[in-house]
Amino acid sequence: MDRLDRLRGPEPPRPHDARAIAALAANPGCARRAVLDAAGVDKDAVATHLGFPAPFGRSPFAITRGDAFEALVKEGGGAELLRLLRELLGLPLPLAGYTDLADVGGNPSAHLRHSHTRRLIDRAARDAGEAATLYDHPLLRLEIAGYHSYLEPDVVAFQLGGRFHIVEIKSFAVVDGQAEPDKVAAAARQAAVYVLALSTLLAELGHDPSRVSHEIVLVCPENFANRPAATLVDVRRELAVLRRQLARMTRVGAIVEPLPDTLTFDLGRDDGGVPRRPVAELRSAVREVGARYAPDCLNTCDLCFFCREEAAEAGATDLLGRQVRDELGGVATVAEALALADGSLAPDDDRAEIARLLRLADRLYAEVS
Amino acid sequence: MLEISGTGGNHWYAPGVSETLDALEARISALRGEIRRAVRARDGALARELRAELRGAERAWDRAVAGPEAADPAAGTTERAGEPASLLPVREQVHQALTLIGAPAAARMIVAVHAALHAGSLGGGRLASLRRDEERSFRGAPYARPYYLCAALTDRLSASRGLFAVSTWPLERRVVGPLSPRVDFLTTAVRVAEHVLRLAEAGEPAAPGAERLLARLARNVPGATGGPGRPGVPAAPDPRTVVKAAHAELRVHAAADAAARADIAGRARARLGDAERLFGGLPLGLAEASC
Amino acid sequence: MSTLSALARLRALREGRAQRLATVRHCHLSDRPMVLIPLRLAGEAAAPLAAMAGTDPDHPRLLVVPQPRDRDLRFAFTAELAEVVLPYVEGLQKATETVERRGAEPYERCVDAPQLLVPNPAGVTFVQLLGRSTRFRRAEGPYAVHPSVPVLGRWLTFFGRRAQYPGSVLLAAATDLLSLHWATGQSALEDANLASLLGWIDPPPGMSGASAAREAEDPLVWPPAGPATDPGFDAEVLAPAIRAYQEAPGERAAAAVAAAVRSQLEPTWRLMWRAVDLLRALPPGGGAAARWEGDRTAFTAFAAQLAEGAPPQPRRDGAVAAAARLARMERARAVYDAQRAFDDPLVMAGHRLAGEAFTGTVVAAEPDRTEGEGRGRKLRPLLVVRTGDPVRLAAGARLATPARRGQRADVVDVAGGEVTLKIVKGMGRGTTATPGAVPQVGEVVCYAALTDEYQPPAALPAPEETPWTHGGPPPEYVPAEDDAEEDWS
Repeated sequence: MDRLDRLRGPEPPRPHDARAIAALAANPGCARRAVLDAAGVDKDAVATHLGFPAPFGRSPFAITRGDAFEALVKEGGGAELLRLLRELLGLPLPLAGYTDLADVGGNPSAHLRHSHTRRLIDRAARDAGEAATLYDHPLLRLEIAGYHSYLEPDVVAFQLGGRFHIVEIKSFAVVDGQAEPDKVAAAARQAAVYVLALSTLLAELGHDPSRVSHEIVLVCPENFANRPAATLVDVRRELAVLRRQLARMTRVGAIVEPLPDTLTFDLGRDDGGVPRRPVAELRSAVREVGARYAPDCLNTCDLCFFCREEAAEAGATDLLGRQVRDELGGVATVAEALALADGSLAPDDDRAEIARLLRLADRLYAEVS
Repeated sequence: MLEISGTGGNHWYAPGVSETLDALEARISALRGEIRRAVRARDGALARELRAELRGAERAWDRAVAGPEAADPAAGTTERAGEPASLLPVREQVHQALTLIGAPAAARMIVAVHAALHAGSLGGGRLASLRRDEERSFRGAPYARPYYLCAALTDRLSASRGLFAVSTWPLERRVVGPLSPRVDFLTTAVRVAEHVLRLAEAGEPAAPGAERLLARLARNVPGATGGPGRPGVPAAPDPRTVVKAAHAELRVHAAADAAARADIAGRARARLGDAERLFGGLPLGLAEASC
Repeated sequence: MSTLSALARLRALREGRAQRLATVRHCHLSDRPMVLIPLRLAGEAAAPLAAMAGTDPDHPRLLVVPQPRDRDLRFAFTAELAEVVLPYVEGLQKATETVERRGAEPYERCVDAPQLLVPNPAGVTFVQLLGRSTRFRRAEGPYAVHPSVPVLGRWLTFFGRRAQYPGSVLLAAATDLLSLHWATGQSALEDANLASLLGWIDPPPGMSGASAAREAEDPLVWPPAGPATDPGFDAEVLAPAIRAYQEAPGERAAAAVAAAVRSQLEPTWRLMWRAVDLLRALPPGGGAAARWEGDRTAFTAFAAQLAEGAPPQPRRDGAVAAAARLARMERARAVYDAQRAFDDPLVMAGHRLAGEAFTGTVVAAEPDRTEGEGRGRKLRPLLVVRTGDPVRLAAGARLATPARRGQRADVVDVAGGEVTLKIVKGMGRGTTATPGAVPQVGEVVCYAALTDEYQPPAALPAPEETPWTHGGPPPEYVPAEDDAEEDWS
């Protein structure tokens, strides 16, 4: 793994949170993202130093609202949550135990907290009679390309009938039974990360990993009230995608192998933490690893503006989105597509069909506009 | 009811008025008894007269206990002007709320109960440093105050994050086993319902905050809101039903919870000194707790 | 996305400027549209923060909720919004015309209808949510609101639902209308940014569309067009202003919040009217007026329902209502696609590329050909059209043609760049073709497998006969207590 350390430089690897891990699955074909993430590179810092800061930010209002809703769901020993689980899954009355796994006293390290989580989950898996029902603030762990990332879910794991469930609390509203599909999908992807981490934990402890349910409990405010409502969401698909992507990342060695030995994404921070590495040098370093830019990256990847610029310079049709790319039958550059359209480039056999369509489109466009 | 109309500004702090306070409190409680009797006797005119007198006594009491916090502008960020602000010192307000709750509670619950009692708001932010101040005071001069706002103790004998308790409570009430959060929640529901009931019996109009809080608590107590068909409808639930329903679930958990509490309390007595018993011991090593 | 629009995007990229996707305007544009730019408090489903609204580009009305978490202030906002929207909507109900119908009672229809323009699809969603959160409110009882609030809620709900109807423009997103007419050199995702889209279509002098679009992505230069605000603005400007209001509510603090949101809304306000001007400059297509008639009918009918005291629209459609609505929308989609193609050779070109339409020269015609014998003898002219288009039509496909709108023809055969057609409708009665109805040899014609014909609605049971498999008959709407009492936080 020292190869990846060298790529990252002297900084400690950036831990992945569930959102970041879920985003890995968004563009599995991108080698650049796979390598930078595997090496734990701070992509946001890299993008900023390259002059393309990520366009993301979260409003303080949204943060406050999210925290307040989560507190509401969990308050009084998870009173709201118990009601929801009793309604949704028929949780029996005596199962009302609540353990705050973060409540270990003092200001403990992630390692300590994780050990505590491990111990209590182990105890719960061994002896259901001894177990609490709700476990708040578990600290889970997932191995990403050889590094452990601690995952601090805003999530409760609870067990019913010997099975553990992940509860994901989100503050977006479900209005008349409908929520924004994008947000539900993102929540499912994130929850899948926790499901994976929890089943990995069970497996490590020698328990049956399938004791983690692939149905997660999504808790959202209902309609315009602050009243929480719960829905079961099946995350099997998200889990499969995630597993595949994580497996790819463990094979990241194959991508790293042909890269020059001296390659590094080190920002060359000085004692004051200010990046001093010449931007041009960092740019060539990043460009050593190919990206697969798609407009979707604009929602998920810190490097998106940099990669978009690169795609624009290259005149890549990726810039216009997957739909256009599909329509162009995989013609990679704008210049090539336009040349096929005006007939100045003779197509090879593979492109004969798309070339014919483009020429016709070109003719029709000229004819009627 | 300690309802105080907001006057804004010009609050003063009067130390050494505890005798007057005691006298006023006795008067207030006597007046409440008289009002209850008058209401039962259906003597509306008398009840009205007594209520007016009660208001006067309460106002006098308010003036006597006015604390300096009320004028603290930094703490006012979560309060809307025009809302009545309580003039009690924060620790007294928290004590009052905790006494009503009768169980360890988080800042959110304390703020909510306080709002229900007083139709005023207690900035949650003000509670942040409270426990630390109390601990400092206790360690400086143990038991100098009649009560301290202390921590609830976890299974690991450490101070629970964010749960407040009162030092005069028995240790068993201040420790938290797995079922304790649920038991304490149900206890809170019972106590708030009883409070609303007491007010109703006294012929006092309940503060709207109290009804809302009761509705919020009741919807998470099975069987407390009547039919299960429409959970969470913010119509006022019947406090008697809430008490009954909460007791029914409390009976389910009582034995297991009491056993867990006795175990933790026993360990705390054996291992912790006075200050640690109130404010939590050092976190135990993992090895020790992993038995 | 067709090859044609893909090519248009490629060309836009090469030229550094948006390319036309239409030769005519495919949407009706009111003489007096109302522009509405709503802003929502981040993290909330439908808590309004502000809105800029009005029919006069020079005099926008700014509505602000100085503390969006305050329920009373939010309802004060909706009451104010009602003051802006309702007079506009109600004013248009006054002038009506009588519509005669063959075989049915004539009816009254408003001669004009309101048109609400919001910046983007998220704005449409917000209007729907705002309608949902206000239509069940009541003017009396524990959480009383101004009587105009539930009325506004019903109108917004009407607009919101109508916006899902293909081709309707009673409520429309500017980015949708612009994207219908121009292709940019960026992705559809980026086109949802109004400033960036307009950068491509109408860049400032001396600037390429590409760089104008890039510049438009900077929230400091062009604040987002809502309903979401820029997180940086929230943290640095809005939060302190709201906090100041909370600590000392009053005119001055409210004015500070208003000034803050005005800075975010004004640039978009100008963009909206620029979008209106750009669209207005396009010559209107014929179908747009016909679809607007449908909008006017829907508007008139809803105004009548409201006047008759109908209950607020239900939270969810029953199974039958939902199926009927889906079927109506599918038919509207087909008609909308056909009308645009018939109005616009550029749109038709897209269908030609897909092989669903073709243009060519008539090489043979049998205008007086008949089929059958005796009384059953019918006029069925034959036509052979030579075309270079990649025709992908099967024998028996029913075609229409923009030049002769009522005409229908069936494909007989497609072979060797020649299509043989049989005209089955719209060529005259009897056994002789009406002069001019059948194209002559040498004429250039266009036929397409598209139809804007009225199709009878699918047969569905009455709502009260909903089968149990679909939930049974929907319950009558009974106003529920909590409808009016939702916290709306």
